Amino acid sequence: MDIFQSTSGSVLTLTLKGRLDADGTDKMAGLLAGYIDRGERRLVLDLSQVDYISSVGLRALMLAAKRLAPLDGRIVLCGPQAPIRHLLDVAGFTSMFSIVATRDEAAERML
Amino acid sequence: MSSVSAVFVNKRTEIERVVELAERFGEEHQLPAEVVMTVHLVLDEVVANIISHGYDDAGEHEIHVTLALDDSVLGIRVEDDGRPFDPLAAPPPDLDLPLEERPVGGLGIHIVRSVMDTVEYQRRGDRNVLIMRKTIGRN
Repeated sequence: MDIFQSTSGSVLTLTLKGRLDADGTDKMAGLLAGYIDRGERRLVLDLSQVDYISSVGLRALMLAAKRLAPLDGRIVLCGPQAPIRHLLDVAGFTSMFSIVATRDEAAERML
Repeated sequence: MSSVSAVFVNKRTEIERVVELAERFGEEHQLPAEVVMTVHLVLDEVVANIISHGYDDAGEHEIHVTLALDDSVLGIRVEDDGRPFDPLAAPPPDLDLPLEERPVGGLGIHIVRSVMDTVEYQRRGDRNVLIMRKTIGRN
């Protein structure tokens, strides 16, 4: 799992590349926790280059969203490939996250 | 029908080998990437769950995995000698709950049931046997 970051205004975008398996999730969850600790409240996760996610990764996304909710923060998930999108649907993420196709749409959701 | 079998032990590092098995099986049968991901995902969820929760002692245990392809039916069989555990007994998660009320657990077996067509559990003697099948599209 490689993770690249970019900032635009108050929005932090993390581009994830690789597998959100146990190891990849450890890396993502550690980074997310650090950014939230630091005060980041608007997070876009670009999933377009993620080719695998298990319940471990889904759980970590839920935990981060649960932590952000009372802080008036949010996570937008962006660009998942079809198999990943399917798993997000299976896990019921549609009602918990904004899931959008492009980064432009993600930016709009942050307004 | 053709099949491959592998034995894993109850260590977390074994999960990497699960990926290798799924990929090798996919290459041998020229399976689409999405099917390989399904095999990887199912083994990841089931084997990780057994390793994390299956045993009452700290000793080494074997987990036997068989992958089979019969025409267009993919079969995945996982057998362990852990404590009796019927993953199908767990109720499905309530996906309509708002974020604040959603428990974070219970997703693994829900995903397995969702991506496979059938999942059967049997307790045979001192072993748990999980048999999963899915009809797949071939290249």
